[in-house]
Amino acid sequence: MTDVLIDENIPSTIHHVPVFIASVIGKLGRLHLDEDMLFDLKLCLHEAVVNAIRHGNNEKKELPVHVLVKKEKKEIIMEVTDQGKGFNFTRIPDPTTLENIGKLHGRGVYLIQSSMDSVKFLNGGRTIKMVKVQK
Amino acid sequence: MNIKLEKINDITLVSLIGELNMDNTNRVREAFKKILQEKKVKVLIDFHKVPFVDSSGIALLLEIVQNFAKANGRMCLCHVNKKIISVFEITKVHKMFNIFESHEDALRSF
Repeated sequence: MTDVLIDENIPSTIHHVPVFIASVIGKLGRLHLDEDMLFDLKLCLHEAVVNAIRHGNNEKKELPVHVLVKKEKKEIIMEVTDQGKGFNFTRIPDPTTLENIGKLHGRGVYLIQSSMDSVKFLNGGRTIKMVKVQK
Repeated sequence: MNIKLEKINDITLVSLIGELNMDNTNRVREAFKKILQEKKVKVLIDFHKVPFVDSSGIALLLEIVQNFAKANGRMCLCHVNKKIISVFEITKVHKMFNIFESHEDALRSF
């Protein structure tokens, strides 16, 4: 059974993100997930939405970011889609190397890949699909 | 995000209250710039009331630690919650920060 929690377009404005994420986390909170899992879901959705707004839609507020969050059995599935050109998701630099550790950007996707059980890029990188399994 | 400043001898204690994320990093950046402009080069950031940090918040902390080091100063963190510590560890930036459990331990380290 699939339980759709969020299926909506949001504007590409950064200052709306915390309020939107808080509303999603409020809905996820009703599923009795543990605090660590809720934190990871919040972090990854936040990073994905900010990336979509900044790098996908170039902060053009008229361009929507589509967010789908659903529960299927023990899986929480989150998909974030922007209207951009996509990106080369096969070449994401490792921010933990000596060369990159002091850099002031480039940790968002790494955090997502480290915190979720599965991450896929679809539509040429315009959609990120993130899955976390309830333990 | 609220920012509370206190002076303990020559150390500036900065208590952050709220999430440290992309929406408020500019405000926090400005507060630390002002501290450095006033030649206060020892700073302790209290994370007791920070429940969440995103990658922009991490980048800002790196920027602050680098700016204070350039000014021959030092930045420390205390009372960081375990989930934020784990985010620091995933990205390995914990190696760049001086993290202490308590004010007392952090203050003794200066």
